[in-house]
Amino acid sequence: MRFVSFRLTSSVLATTALLLIATAPVQAQTRAETLRYVTGASVNTLDPNIPGSTRESFALSMSTYDRLVAFGRKQLDGKWVFDLDKITGELAESYEVSPDGLRITFRLRKDAKFQDGSPVTADDVKWSLDRCVTAPILGKAQLLTGSLTSADQFKVIDSLTIEVTLPKPDKLALPNLATVYPMIINSKIAKEHATADDPWATAWLKEHTAGSGAYVIESFKPGEQVIAKRNEAWNRGSPDKPAFFKRVIIQSVPEPATRANLVERGDADLVVDLQASDVQSLEAKGKLKVISTPQYNSITFVSMNNQIPPFDNVNVRRAIAFALPYDDMFKAALFGRGAPLFGASWPDGKPLNGIYPFQQPVKMDLDKAREYLKAAGLPEGFSTTFSFNVGQASTAEPMAALVKESLAKIGIKVDIQKLPDAQMSTQINEKKLPFFTEGIVAWLPSTDYFYRNFYTGNQRWNYSSINNPELAAIAQEARFEPDKAKYEEAGRKLNAMHADLMPQVMLWQPNQDAVMASSIEGYTYEFHRQIDYRDVSRK
Amino acid sequence: MMTGLGATMVRAGRRLLSSLPALFGVLVFTFLLMRVLPGDPAVFFASGPNAGKEEIEQIRKQMGLDKSVPEQLVFYLSDIGRGNLGRSMMTGQPVLKDLRERLPASLELTFTALLIALIAAVPLGVMAALRPGSVVDHGVRLFCALGVCVPTFVSGLLLIYVFYYLLGLAPDPTGRIDVFTSLPPQHTGFLSIDFLLAGDIEGWWTACRQLILPAVSMALFVIAPLARITRASMLVSLGSDFVRTARSVGLSWHKVVVTYALRNAILPVITIAGIVFSTMLGANVLVEKVFSWPGVASYALDALLSSDYAPVQGFVLLMASLFVLVNLVVDICYGIADPRVSIG
Repeated sequence: MRFVSFRLTSSVLATTALLLIATAPVQAQTRAETLRYVTGASVNTLDPNIPGSTRESFALSMSTYDRLVAFGRKQLDGKWVFDLDKITGELAESYEVSPDGLRITFRLRKDAKFQDGSPVTADDVKWSLDRCVTAPILGKAQLLTGSLTSADQFKVIDSLTIEVTLPKPDKLALPNLATVYPMIINSKIAKEHATADDPWATAWLKEHTAGSGAYVIESFKPGEQVIAKRNEAWNRGSPDKPAFFKRVIIQSVPEPATRANLVERGDADLVVDLQASDVQSLEAKGKLKVISTPQYNSITFVSMNNQIPPFDNVNVRRAIAFALPYDDMFKAALFGRGAPLFGASWPDGKPLNGIYPFQQPVKMDLDKAREYLKAAGLPEGFSTTFSFNVGQASTAEPMAALVKESLAKIGIKVDIQKLPDAQMSTQINEKKLPFFTEGIVAWLPSTDYFYRNFYTGNQRWNYSSINNPELAAIAQEARFEPDKAKYEEAGRKLNAMHADLMPQVMLWQPNQDAVMASSIEGYTYEFHRQIDYRDVSRK
Repeated sequence: MMTGLGATMVRAGRRLLSSLPALFGVLVFTFLLMRVLPGDPAVFFASGPNAGKEEIEQIRKQMGLDKSVPEQLVFYLSDIGRGNLGRSMMTGQPVLKDLRERLPASLELTFTALLIALIAAVPLGVMAALRPGSVVDHGVRLFCALGVCVPTFVSGLLLIYVFYYLLGLAPDPTGRIDVFTSLPPQHTGFLSIDFLLAGDIEGWWTACRQLILPAVSMALFVIAPLARITRASMLVSLGSDFVRTARSVGLSWHKVVVTYALRNAILPVITIAGIVFSTMLGANVLVEKVFSWPGVASYALDALLSSDYAPVQGFVLLMASLFVLVNLVVDICYGIADPRVSIG
């Protein structure tokens, strides 16, 4: 009986498909139903977990795969941004956190189907999460930050229920499941392509998708373009509708001026990586919609290596902090497009709150800088190098020139060093650079997360190489602090230490300038700093 | 005639064999050079927001960088022997596949540009040589100077600005084909040929439209050397005895200039065209970037910036092989242009 019904279904399907092909007009999708997104980067893998995958690959995977949960969105100064505190179900219909915070139970949606039509089951979820914490892939290090480390933590209760257990009540466990890596894979398909050497099918999933997401890959040319078509059955965004655009074209256009031309002429619909000067002129012309959101989960620093003399002396670091020409740098590098992290006034000398990043109480004051230098025993100044990477030259180059000019006034002689990107990251990793500018980004921006990852340990992301046991202890303790007031108190303490020790100088949070055709709506600033194609629609 | 052709082929084959040691040298040299350059690709590619030591080690292992350099070289050479150029971290694809997909794009662009340049440069050079010191000669000189002075990316951006942005005549400068046009079945990889083979005239026209601007901006840059060489060698050949004799016996203008003078003057032009072609293929990176052309040069540049070893090595090997091939073709062309020349 089953066999017959299968044949019946397949023949019905085939007939429908034939009919569709026969009746489809030559241009099945009109331009209005297509989103053409241009970018200077490119998608290099269809599985964002592969080491070396790009941000564009992260963004695409959000549309080709679903996760258990997703971040909500909120308005910040009239602009939509992702909301870390509002976690909604994606493949999970609902979830429940036990009172002690050690167990999270997810109930899967009954109607959720993979792109091949098979239902999404708890077994698929378990396989996918197991893969994320077991296979040698990027998800491992990410989920670690949410105390998710072992396959034993994921338990299938029934075909639609899965339970996650935690060793400690970790606030970041749930948000971690909404990030890029723990995507839910169709385990039946993936297992078919697993080999003895590659039990988690990483090689196959790099070039193919097996998900339940809103878009199906139509063609994938690494380094050139990706075309995705809508998954009509997907309804995780709104209860009864798939994503808006029938087709999404993600195209690599390396030249920023060309990207600006394309979007201005209306040939491209959306771009987020234009040069600040182009954004400004396009905004002035007023034909396009420009949405500028400070990237509130990222920070640009001027970093000093706290282990290398003379920057091991706190007074030298303070001198630098008071000698930087903040306003000029902000204008020259970003055309003022961002949120400054300098120039605050702390009336009683204490941090205003416990949130990191914070606006520091520093401004350019050369007399003060000279005093600090004298206190450090270096009244005559010293010589050093200031490094930045080629990839950031458009913002870092004018900034470096201003740093050099200003520091010369207090006797510090600066040589500017422009390094190829790979060389810069190597030298940072080896802690060889004394003085440089770099940026960071955190997907889950909470105060303790920032301090734990960017101010502790002998590791790459601790740019300033600060080694302060007290700071590390407070940050570590805050991680599992359930009490909001106590957490805030720890944050204030950390911020006060930052302002006092001045391990590195926070400059600003650059804007993400999304430039789009005036008909595009729904743009949201996402944690991965790219477009979530499911967000956008056309009027 | 047949024996002449056969002899040329034998000589060409011998020439090809003798270039193998040079290719091997290039292979080893590039390999070592990439390792000597500062910058650790593993650190660069492990740049996810949480990538730590473990990820870096893992990438290092994946790229084979955990072994000693001599060991790596042996592995690399045995891979090359089996036709495996390694895998690119950047695109995640085997380098051979990347190059095979991208080389036709670069070749199509370079051939077109060279063709445009030759069609423009040879008549210009001849005209200038026929009337040295005249307005035409100065005009050609000015045009050549301008072409060389303006870097290709500037002329490229300028052409885009005028023909795409202001006039709207050119299609958007994003690659080989309009994003909304579907590709023809692949035979040669040259879109202009594949479309013709598929009988899709409309598609052929789209591909040609995409090709015109980048080819012209590249051609502008190389017209100067070609036109100057044509002029100089035409002057020599116009002043030579055989042309004087040809003139004195009353041969037609066409016969004197084209058959006698130009044919004798064309040898240096072929040499320069060969060199120009090889240079263009590697140096058109700026044009490829400006027009988002998915060619090999921009691919190699991106790889170099991120210290992605395999693609850079593959690219250099490809360029070296092409250079050998182009030289061979140039030599054979010599033989056709001037039967007295034989290659050895």
